[in-house]
Amino acid sequence: MRKSGFWVAYSLLLVAQILLSNYFTFTPYITLSILPVMVLCISTRIQPYMCMLIAFFSGIIVDWLSEGVLGLNAFSLVPVALLRNPVIHLVYGEGLFTRKEDFTVKSHGFAKVVMAILMMQTLFLALYIWADGAGLRPFWFGLARFFASLPVGLAVSLMTLNVLAADQHR
Amino acid sequence: MPMKQRAITGWINFAVFLILEIASLHMLAHNGEIQKRWLARGSHWVMGTVWGATQRIQAYFSLSTTNQQLSQENFALREQLFQAQEQLQQLRVDSLQLVPRPGFSLIAAEVTKMSRNKQHNYLILNRGYEDGVQEKSGIISQNGVVGIVDAVSAHYAYAFSFQNSDVSISARLGTEGESGLLVWDGIHSNGAVLKEIPLQQQYHPGDTVFTSGHSLLFPPDIPLGIAGNSKIVNGATSEIEVRLFQDLSAVRYVTVVHNNAFDEIEEFEP
Repeated sequence: MRKSGFWVAYSLLLVAQILLSNYFTFTPYITLSILPVMVLCISTRIQPYMCMLIAFFSGIIVDWLSEGVLGLNAFSLVPVALLRNPVIHLVYGEGLFTRKEDFTVKSHGFAKVVMAILMMQTLFLALYIWADGAGLRPFWFGLARFFASLPVGLAVSLMTLNVLAADQHR
Repeated sequence: MPMKQRAITGWINFAVFLILEIASLHMLAHNGEIQKRWLARGSHWVMGTVWGATQRIQAYFSLSTTNQQLSQENFALREQLFQAQEQLQQLRVDSLQLVPRPGFSLIAAEVTKMSRNKQHNYLILNRGYEDGVQEKSGIISQNGVVGIVDAVSAHYAYAFSFQNSDVSISARLGTEGESGLLVWDGIHSNGAVLKEIPLQQQYHPGDTVFTSGHSLLFPPDIPLGIAGNSKIVNGATSEIEVRLFQDLSAVRYVTVVHNNAFDEIEEFEP
């Protein structure tokens, strides 16, 4: 995907996340977010501090335009952006960075993609549920919310990946 | 990427991360009431932990001064206690129309030197005859008996520690029990043996051992330790293990007690 195409898709997915945050309110046990996978798909050529800034503003926009608490998504997404490169490094090895390639499904395999998304989702959900509960919710509720949200988030993230890394399948 | 450049990038990333997280938390605190309370609780916890730790460090470094203050306070309290006991004794004497007897005088001191690893251990105190310390005085601490003054110079006193196989103290089981001789067990810094207790004496492990007051050196009823197991010696008397309240290896601030009637009573002794 060309650079401009990626950012258009990214912006559209941000709108989709705002819609999800506003309308996907069926159960308090599921927190649906595609923000971690969106951050994961940002080009590895972009410096981590820039990636964190993008994540921060993405989180702020979603918080601001949905009914959430301002700062909640930003707080949970910035660490995801910080740990994005180490996660990619852990899952794909040094090669991706030395060849200056982007994160793709086709060239690196489905299992590795799932693992990387799971790591990102886990970190994001843990922070989000922890900060959202603010110590008022019982631990078991947070745990149930986390384990219910993780598979749903993974499924939606895989669909999102098909949009952001669409050219790799052609 | 060179190592130096990588380090700089790492620091920049970390700084950006911190700034963005602080900004997020700031927004969280100002836009969600429960998040605001949650963050306040968190900050109180951090402040409490950090300030608590620094407070503990400060307290640790000022322990020496605190110890000295406590020792002075302790001495003043002990002096008051002795005065009260003497007044009580005086009242008893008045009521029986007896002639009053002189009591004990007290001098606060600090252990300057002490031996611990011998069978005949000694102490050197930082008070001498210019401070009023006399030979044949007892040495006590807030937890019991420490030793006996043997020789005195102008500014120092040489004393036999209770951890000395030649030292024995007259002690009693409970406030009304039989008295015997309390000696160091020769092994532990808080171990002693109460000897020559008649077999008919009823006692229970856990009873408190006090000074008897039969010795001229120590006032009566100073708690010394807790009685433990016993054994019969030569079929005639019991020997009882005692765990002393005062660990003699850790003593530093003491009080020298001198019986003002010592010389008068000594004249009767052959």
